[in-house]
Amino acid sequence: MNKITVRCTVNHKSVEVETAPNKRLLDMLREDLNLTSVKEGCSEGECGACTVLYNGEPVTSCCILAGQAQGADIVTLEGISPDGKPDAVQQAFMDSGAVQCGFCTPGMILSAEALLAKNPNPTEEEVKQAMSGNLCRCTGYAKIIEAVLMAAQRRREEGQA
Amino acid sequence: MRDYAVLAKDHVKVDALEKVMGTAKFAADYKMPNMLYGGVFRSTVPHAYVKKLNLDKARALPGVACALDYTAIPGKNRFGIIFKDEPCLVDDKVRRYGDAIAVVAAETPELVQDALDLIEVEYEELEAVSSFERAMEEDSPKVHGDTNVNVKKHLEYGNVDEAWAKCDVIVENTYSTHILSHMFIEPDAGIAYLDEQGIMNVIASTQNAHYDRNEVAAMLGVPQNRVRVKQAVTGGGFGGKLDISVQLHCALMAWHTKRPVKMVRSRSESTMVSSKRHPMTMKCKTGATKDGRLVAVECYMTCDAGAYSSYAPAVIGRAPVHIVGPYECPNVRCDAVFAYTNNPMCGAFRGFGVPQAAVCHEGQMNALAKALNMSPLEIRMINAQKVGSVIPTGQKLTESVGFMDTLTQARDKAAEVMPEALERLTQD
Repeated sequence: MNKITVRCTVNHKSVEVETAPNKRLLDMLREDLNLTSVKEGCSEGECGACTVLYNGEPVTSCCILAGQAQGADIVTLEGISPDGKPDAVQQAFMDSGAVQCGFCTPGMILSAEALLAKNPNPTEEEVKQAMSGNLCRCTGYAKIIEAVLMAAQRRREEGQA
Repeated sequence: MRDYAVLAKDHVKVDALEKVMGTAKFAADYKMPNMLYGGVFRSTVPHAYVKKLNLDKARALPGVACALDYTAIPGKNRFGIIFKDEPCLVDDKVRRYGDAIAVVAAETPELVQDALDLIEVEYEELEAVSSFERAMEEDSPKVHGDTNVNVKKHLEYGNVDEAWAKCDVIVENTYSTHILSHMFIEPDAGIAYLDEQGIMNVIASTQNAHYDRNEVAAMLGVPQNRVRVKQAVTGGGFGGKLDISVQLHCALMAWHTKRPVKMVRSRSESTMVSSKRHPMTMKCKTGATKDGRLVAVECYMTCDAGAYSSYAPAVIGRAPVHIVGPYECPNVRCDAVFAYTNNPMCGAFRGFGVPQAAVCHEGQMNALAKALNMSPLEIRMINAQKVGSVIPTGQKLTESVGFMDTLTQARDKAAEVMPEALERLTQD
């Protein structure tokens, strides 16, 4: 199969990836770029474990062909805090016990980041709505919702300081 | 309360940092130089003899490193946590839809699929045993050996036969629970490789590394010190990753090819062949005095345990002793029969049969409350186990029985947050 060249931004860096045209964005990120925080849970856009930010929007990368990333700005969990220190959302997930097995965590955090970028002061209902595409099988959602609200509050407080 | 170093304090989970940063390594995240990908050729019928199996075309496909059936197994071809009744690869017959018949390793996942598509199989189909009732009939096909009885258990406490005469009210009902998939969010995955000392290493998404090691060693016919199993960060299990998934197949192919072999199940393959919650039918007779005290419980519990035992012998040990729930009852009898069928294998699933029993005993408590015109809460409080209670195994509970406290606190909380519902619940 002839390869295609995908030029896009991944985690704030311009990349050029030679990949197979039948690959999904999920495969390109995991296999070609070794960004293994992107998880494959269901392969049909249902569980949200493969969520990445695509031009700022959370999308399930198992349902997008690699070629569709042409020119796009892609962010995976690896790109959230390039300095190696957890950001407000990551810290809040740790502090509120929102992490159990950890397989849904990358997608959860990215959906939360997308929400807070647009809406720094979400209600609990808005958090639930924003996280509704991400399934967790361990903890239930109470602590995850708590973590997102905690992160929002901490960010607002930092902004005021 | 005493000030403990760990208890009653908030702690950040030990591996939370790696998990929020995206660096935690799950089984499917492992990559090794020279690595092959593996896949399984599975039965598309539930019960059949394999008359012919042709792996030649799969083997001839460029990029395919091996295509193996049971004849390639150097050691034992039977495994299972309690009874060794499941084959690594089918030798005598297929016992469920999705049984593993052959395995293939190739350079890419696409080639694995191409090779699997080239495998030819011919079955001589047998009648599929698809219910407990059919399994118990004399003329039913036998899934293993000469009986479909997988395990039986009898619990006898007090004198049930004499107790019925002392009851003012008796309720009889039948409860059924359904089969259920754990649906852990990470599909099963693993990688196996021989290291420079010739030791077989398996890294897998598993809840049971020591058991896995024993099974891999037995399958390869090597001592246990020639096998190492490492649990990768595991994306949920809930009991469903206590059984073998990819460990044996990865190790078998790594053994023959001398190359690392990685297997990652699709969601559909994972759901098809992983263990399930035991579906149970509980025919239960419960008697009480007119003031609401339990006098006797008798239950006949049956279960379609599926094609292989997995944890059935453990589940059948738990469910009957919990048939009265957290209540005092001086006379108890429970007979449990689990059958082999050609349905999906049932195994460990959060509670080992106890949640199934709860459907029955809580249903019976509600039925008794109704028959006696008592509130469902009151009848539970009258019968609640406490320190000093004796349970149907004869064990006296000597410490910390929190049930009454839980009921009281739940009642008080309900009075605060849902007073109307509580009123309905406590009405006579």
